[in-house]
Amino acid sequence: MTQDPPRATWSAALAKLGDDDSEELLAQEALAGWLADNGCDAGAVYLEAEPGQLVLEVEAGEVGLPDKLEGEVPSTFNYRPLPGGVLLFRGAPPDHLTEIGEAGFVIAFSARLASLKREIKRAQFEAGRRDVAQEALYDVGLAIASTLDVEQLTEAILTWALSLLDARRAALYLGDSGGFRLARSLGGDARATVVPYDASSPPADVLPGASFLLAAPIEVEGRAMGLLVVGDKESRSGVGPFTAADERTLSLFANQAAIALENARLHREALEKERLEREMELAAEIQRQILPKVIPSLPGYELAGWNRPARQVGGDYYDLLPRGEGRLLVTVGDVSGKGVPASLLVSTLHSASRLLLDRQDLGPELAEKLNRHVCESSLPSKFITLVVGEIDTARHRFVFVNAGHNPGVVVGADGGVRCLAATGVPLGLIPLARYQMGEADFAPGDLLCLYSDGITEQADGSSEEFGLERLIQTLESHRTEPLPQVIAAVEAAVGAFAAGAPQGDDQTVVLVRRMG
Amino acid sequence: MTESLHLNVDRRGELVVLYTEGYINNQGGEKIARQAYELIDQGHKTILLNLAGTKIVNSIGISILIEIIEKMIEIEGKLAFCSLTPTIEKTFHIMGLTQYAGIYPDEPTAVQALGT
Repeated sequence: MTQDPPRATWSAALAKLGDDDSEELLAQEALAGWLADNGCDAGAVYLEAEPGQLVLEVEAGEVGLPDKLEGEVPSTFNYRPLPGGVLLFRGAPPDHLTEIGEAGFVIAFSARLASLKREIKRAQFEAGRRDVAQEALYDVGLAIASTLDVEQLTEAILTWALSLLDARRAALYLGDSGGFRLARSLGGDARATVVPYDASSPPADVLPGASFLLAAPIEVEGRAMGLLVVGDKESRSGVGPFTAADERTLSLFANQAAIALENARLHREALEKERLEREMELAAEIQRQILPKVIPSLPGYELAGWNRPARQVGGDYYDLLPRGEGRLLVTVGDVSGKGVPASLLVSTLHSASRLLLDRQDLGPELAEKLNRHVCESSLPSKFITLVVGEIDTARHRFVFVNAGHNPGVVVGADGGVRCLAATGVPLGLIPLARYQMGEADFAPGDLLCLYSDGITEQADGSSEEFGLERLIQTLESHRTEPLPQVIAAVEAAVGAFAAGAPQGDDQTVVLVRRMG
Repeated sequence: MTESLHLNVDRRGELVVLYTEGYINNQGGEKIARQAYELIDQGHKTILLNLAGTKIVNSIGISILIEIIEKMIEIEGKLAFCSLTPTIEKTFHIMGLTQYAGIYPDEPTAVQALGT
């Protein structure tokens, strides 16, 4: 015989339906009431979630029952069927209890409603989570694109990776196909380096202690530049493996990270280039300061100098240094190579030659000291060709040392041409090298030209060089013109010969002419 | 970013401010929940979670925070958050936490709004 609680109790309880969480409360109250009325101390309601699968929905008292009921009902419990489920209760079932009747319907109905409500809540949560993931992926692009700082970028990438994938741990490696170095890890330690990898099976100990790993390569145009690894996907019950959807998300995320990291790299390179350019400009300015800012005057003589480096800074050098009493030192030097290394040696040459020339007269001993200094302060592969000579306006004589430099040229007013050959080896090659002096007389109208090999070795498109002959011809053709015009003529002749071919080396021309 | 969540508790009469530092995931969320339930058991009904030290929250952490919110509703208490990163604030909006819990830009604003 069925004995239900008074109908009014259930009616009142049912009237509460619709309030927030009232179903669960109602199911619990109904179950507790029924258990109490029937002398039972604990009970639980399982509802069929899927065919053959009973899930614990409501419990009252200390039941100690599993979340899912599989197989036999625990021996300490009795049971009665419910619509869509089963009621388990502990305690002596009263003899009269054969059917649960209306009470069972209320319990089952309210429990089912509570279950559905939880399902809806879960679905809403999942939908929200998907929205978050979608928004996050969008935000990731914006957020990581808004910073070009690699430190900030790696933190942002890892933060998002953890959050999006519910991962407990994450690490980001950067490098190239030769190997990756740990840039940052969150949630725990990570291996310092990862050698060439297969993203589908990252090293098992990449995140020491992690049970589950997922990795995605960070690639730009097929070039590996990093590896993103996450470990241990979280759930309320602990950690587990990542899903196929997680794999797609991580891959998508790695693609965006790759773009951001590449942008940061390009930005860094641009900044570095800009910095180098600023420094080069400064170096060029310093080198310009080394060259004579004004052409000194020398009674009875005209002087001119011109220099054009092949790059921002160069290895050519010239100097015009008045010595008093109608004398002036002319120097033209050429450091092997060009660019910054050559320009550094130019500075050394300038300082050393100025100091030495300030203390002693030009002669073999000065050249030998200069040579030793260059030997000691430059790399073995570096050397300097140099011609330094003194014009004596009293004797109209040019006394010089030519350390392996291109022969100077004197184009005479009489049409004759003389070459001032080397009197020693280039500076910096042989520490104990000896030098001799050479000399040339200046007749009225004689034009002396000292130059660097950037002039005579300028090549045209077919690699033919401008050569000494063409230089002499140009000097002869313009011999009587104002010196700036003669230099302009040389520059124009070399340029016309090159016919668009790039300037191969630094170019320097110094002219000295005795007035007629 | 610390490896695990650190939690500091500041009791100010009726109001209790919980300061988090680190990842609010399963472990971090459980830590907050344990503390919150303990406070509720002690009779506290107004809790402010200051998340200034937290940059990451995952969905497991959020689900635990939702449970705390539900518990607070059940006891007719108040739970609020303050000092959230823009990302976390956006996540809370999408996940619907803002329907049941106040979100404030900083602690003084939150304390004033909670009226404690």
